[in-house]
Amino acid sequence: MKVTLERGALLKSLSHVHRVVERRNTIPILSNVLLQAKDGALLLRATDLDLEITESVAADVGQAGATTLPAHTLYDIVRKLPEGGQVSLETAGDSGQLLLRSGRSRFNLQSLPESDFPDLTAADLTHRFSLPAADLKKLIDKTQFAISTEETRYYLNGIFMHTTEVDGHMMLRAVATDGHRLARVELPAPAGAAGMPGVIVPRKAVAEVQKLIEDLSAEVVVEMSTTKARFTFGPVVLTSKLIDGTFPDYTRVIPVGNDKRLTVDCAPFAAAVDRVSTISSERGRAVKLALSEGKLTLSVTNPDSGSATEELEVDYDAAPIDIGFNARYLLDITSQLDSDTALFKLADPGSPTVIQDRDGAAALYVLMPMRV
Amino acid sequence: MPVRRLDPILVDRIAAGEVVERPASAVKELVENALDAGARRVEIVIEQGGRKLIRVVDDGAGMSAADLELAVERHATSKIPDGDLSNIATLGFRGEALPSIASVAHVEIHSRHAESSHGSMIRVEDGRKRPVAPAAHSAGTRIEVRDLFAATPARLKFLKTDRTEAQAVADIIKRLAMAHPQVRFALTGDNLSGLEFSACPQGPEGLLTRISQVLGAEFRDNALEVNAEREGVRLTGFAGLPTYHRANAQAQYFYVNGRPVRDKLLHGALRAAYMDYLPSDRHPALALFVQCDPRIVDVNVHPAKAEVRFRDPGLIRGLIIGALKQTLGEAMHRATTTGGSRTIDTLARRNFGSAPQFGAAPIRPAANWDWRSSPAAPAPFNAGLAEAAQAAFSHMPAADTRAHESAPAPDLLDRPLGAARAQVHDTYILAQTRDGIVLVDQHAAHERLVYERLKREREASGVARQLLLIPIVVDLDSSEVDRVMDNREALADLGLVVESFGPGAVAVSEVPALLKSGDIARLVRDVADTLAENGSATSLERRLDHVLATMACHHSVRAGRRLTGEEMNALLREMEATPGSGQCNHGRPTYVELKLSDVERLFGRK
Repeated sequence: MKVTLERGALLKSLSHVHRVVERRNTIPILSNVLLQAKDGALLLRATDLDLEITESVAADVGQAGATTLPAHTLYDIVRKLPEGGQVSLETAGDSGQLLLRSGRSRFNLQSLPESDFPDLTAADLTHRFSLPAADLKKLIDKTQFAISTEETRYYLNGIFMHTTEVDGHMMLRAVATDGHRLARVELPAPAGAAGMPGVIVPRKAVAEVQKLIEDLSAEVVVEMSTTKARFTFGPVVLTSKLIDGTFPDYTRVIPVGNDKRLTVDCAPFAAAVDRVSTISSERGRAVKLALSEGKLTLSVTNPDSGSATEELEVDYDAAPIDIGFNARYLLDITSQLDSDTALFKLADPGSPTVIQDRDGAAALYVLMPMRV
Repeated sequence: MPVRRLDPILVDRIAAGEVVERPASAVKELVENALDAGARRVEIVIEQGGRKLIRVVDDGAGMSAADLELAVERHATSKIPDGDLSNIATLGFRGEALPSIASVAHVEIHSRHAESSHGSMIRVEDGRKRPVAPAAHSAGTRIEVRDLFAATPARLKFLKTDRTEAQAVADIIKRLAMAHPQVRFALTGDNLSGLEFSACPQGPEGLLTRISQVLGAEFRDNALEVNAEREGVRLTGFAGLPTYHRANAQAQYFYVNGRPVRDKLLHGALRAAYMDYLPSDRHPALALFVQCDPRIVDVNVHPAKAEVRFRDPGLIRGLIIGALKQTLGEAMHRATTTGGSRTIDTLARRNFGSAPQFGAAPIRPAANWDWRSSPAAPAPFNAGLAEAAQAAFSHMPAADTRAHESAPAPDLLDRPLGAARAQVHDTYILAQTRDGIVLVDQHAAHERLVYERLKREREASGVARQLLLIPIVVDLDSSEVDRVMDNREALADLGLVVESFGPGAVAVSEVPALLKSGDIARLVRDVADTLAENGSATSLERRLDHVLATMACHHSVRAGRRLTGEEMNALLREMEATPGSGQCNHGRPTYVELKLSDVERLFGRK
């Protein structure tokens, strides 16, 4: 294999793929990135066996071929090379060594045979649709915070994506929950998405997809099967295994009969929650919301350091209610809302509360109260 | 084969299997007989771990010839005079021990009743009784058991080595000796270093002496007297300080009405009481005596009487936990003296034979203090606490190293932890008391104070609970489900709300906010296990405490932080006011005290 390409192009591609590679691996080949030179392009591929990123970059191919190199080492080398240079990669006979040259720098790198590199992509992807990158980003950004990190309920460690019919329109939904709160975002389903299987995209894949969305105006092609999902961003292709589990029937935990409606201005509300929770010493301490007509009183009591209260003028006209929430969770949710006001739908201090944008459109959050 | 009655000797041997399991159990039965006979002196001799010979000589009431004749018969006893099994005041009562032993060994009994003019003897060989014959003997009884289990080779094969069996005998004697301080015990034999416990006076002081004879002299300095009573049940004895902990539960002795028992209920209560002061894999040393009306405890539930059953286990449990917690709390900041005396020993040993150079021997109280690496010592400190080094202090920012610009108020010296004099290595506070020196580990001490404060906070405000959107279903077996559901109120107080979910599972609907991101299913299983073990949710409490302990660690003054004199004194005063501040959350001492007399000894002044 002999290939020459611009340092900047190689660095950009490497920066995409090398993140997948775990720092410590028990299988040596997984520390490596696959390099494949053919047809005027260099293809780079890295995997952790659950997730694979492939990217091809234009290159001057002197001799077609393939090899694998330690991903983090290669990335660090290319990163430290001077800008604007050319990088040439050449395999040196059968020795298993690869010679990397750029300017006056020369590196002899130990490679591993490309035939050992695992192939994740051979799967039948049954559904295919494309959607604007901005939409995909929205689906992820607004739900990601609610993904569970607890390993025992592994089926909650990702975003559940599926299509469903709402008022005669086909919608694409993303849902995440950690058992304390739930986030649900929906968009009109793009053509081809209808009938796709409900899939759980694992947390690591979600984070990588989020980072790969660079150009918000571009289209992202999404392909799905019941076991794998593939996201194509121009030259970059991310393929991920899906979480093999059943997402709980989340529609049952979204209350519909909550009749106490509270409207607050997001920014002052979040600031007030943040302020009063300063007084609590334990992390995740509850903040109490006392609601009466037109008035919301936030309070935190810490027997050792004192108490804090703050009043807000709000739009509320139902019966008075006292309810406690985890301050952190309230802040997480209010920071996700697009509109400058938030609509809370409450029932009682022991039942889930629904939080939405004022217009109640795309995003919906369910939050479980705390007992204090 | 037709059904037939078994030969009486065979019946006896079968029964003997229950009571006499190994030489130690025979020794136990015989010594208990001696104690029931009111002996003041019990001497035991064993050979080959008790296999070849067990001889028990006492100076008790003794037996007449007629007694002897009956004593080796099954179900014959001089105890339970009123025939009421619910009112047993003696150690034995079944009339089983002697015939059982006699059925598997050669037994020879010499005895003289105190009022008889001459003694008698009887011999039983392999269950066959020989006639009673007159014999010379002083008042009391001598029983010799030879060739134990010779008639039951199967049992003989299952015995351990002579050394192990001898050890088991010694263990039994220790257990019995502890409960009878006024009786002199002597045990000799091969494979055994021999025990001799001289008679101690009545009362707590005598008891403490006897416990120290058994557990070692160190126990005396680390013991707290326990004395509590609730609803006619009395708890006495001595509990070891938490810092005086052991790697196993060997040094725990429980007695119910003078009878040594190993009971799950009692051990569970003990763990709960010490939970806050000890890491889970360390065990306190103690000897506790429960005295109660014999009618509220059933001792007839175990062949060797090692277990008992209380009519109201909750009362006993509450009494033990309450009394121990109170005792430990009152002991306040008393840390183990072992640290201090060990320091002295170490220092004394190092100084011996070499030039008496204090500076060469670093102040390192005990081996287990190595975990805290001290920051590099400022050069002047290496010279030790000599006058020259003291002078060097004055070149440093005064407030940082000198506790007091002016002479300390004299009353501070009278406080238990004294007046702070200096901070060494930015880690340890050196304080002076009327009669000694106190070294405080500032991080460990402050960590404990913060931990206690967080716990008070939790008690004041209750455990905040996070409700779950999706209940967590935990599979348990049906008895575990019942146990968990029976304790649901106690669990709810600790923040865990469970609901029944069919016969083989529970659904968790609310969890403690502090543990919300943990593995709840495992927590519930652990809770079910501890409920089975000791009837309370200690694992949940421990988990909550662990979170607090971690927070305490992060919120406390670290080693390496300079403290001013005011800060140091404030820390000492707070330690005095906080129960349990003598050890950190891991059972290590937060301070050691060196008595002036120890220091003087170190310099050869005494």
